[in-house]
Amino acid sequence: MDEPVPDSPQQQTERPRRNPILPCLLAWCVPGLGHLSLGRSARAVAFFLVVTATFGLGLASGGTASVVDPQQPLSYLATFDNLALGPLDFVGRTVSLGGLVYRLPEEESNPQRQAVMNRMRDRVRMPTYEYGSTFLLTAGLMNILLILDAFDIARGRKD
Amino acid sequence: MIPSHVLNMVVFAALVAIFFAFLTQNKPRDRARVIAVLGGAMIVLSLIVAYVMYPFPLAR
Repeated sequence: MDEPVPDSPQQQTERPRRNPILPCLLAWCVPGLGHLSLGRSARAVAFFLVVTATFGLGLASGGTASVVDPQQPLSYLATFDNLALGPLDFVGRTVSLGGLVYRLPEEESNPQRQAVMNRMRDRVRMPTYEYGSTFLLTAGLMNILLILDAFDIARGRKD
Repeated sequence: MIPSHVLNMVVFAALVAIFFAFLTQNKPRDRARVIAVLGGAMIVLSLIVAYVMYPFPLAR
């Protein structure tokens, strides 16, 4: 399916500009929905299928949603990346961690920490755990790019 | 769950290539070219890196 093709600089300056908040919010809620709201239906379908397939494969392969661990600074980035999936992240957390857990309690004796760690150990034992977590992180990164792309299209910077 | 390492890599490369093809191109022909070049490059480069790493054993 053909979509609007970039033309001359004169035509580029005539691109319609819209408020980017709603498309970005929709893109965060459902992958591709932001592009659908901007009239890019072919892209929207492709993005929805690719991101949800990446997310689904990650979850099925034993991937685990990241939780903030103050002892591991990179876990903040990984958790933010997972959160970029919007409601899909809720599903990922519920399946992989047994609930909406975002931060690992610091006390070793905390029963919630023990429960989360046990869930994570169970998934780490799966042979494809590393692939699964990589797929989950990649799905999050893809959706961040989709949100930024929806912003650019809405502001008239891109066709 | 995909049990094969190679199949995991191929599926991952395909998904990423399709994503960037639709993100960066507007015409179907250009998208197909990006999918072929980007997906192929990811797979071939991964195999080359794996082959180069082969002589180095895992630390025990």
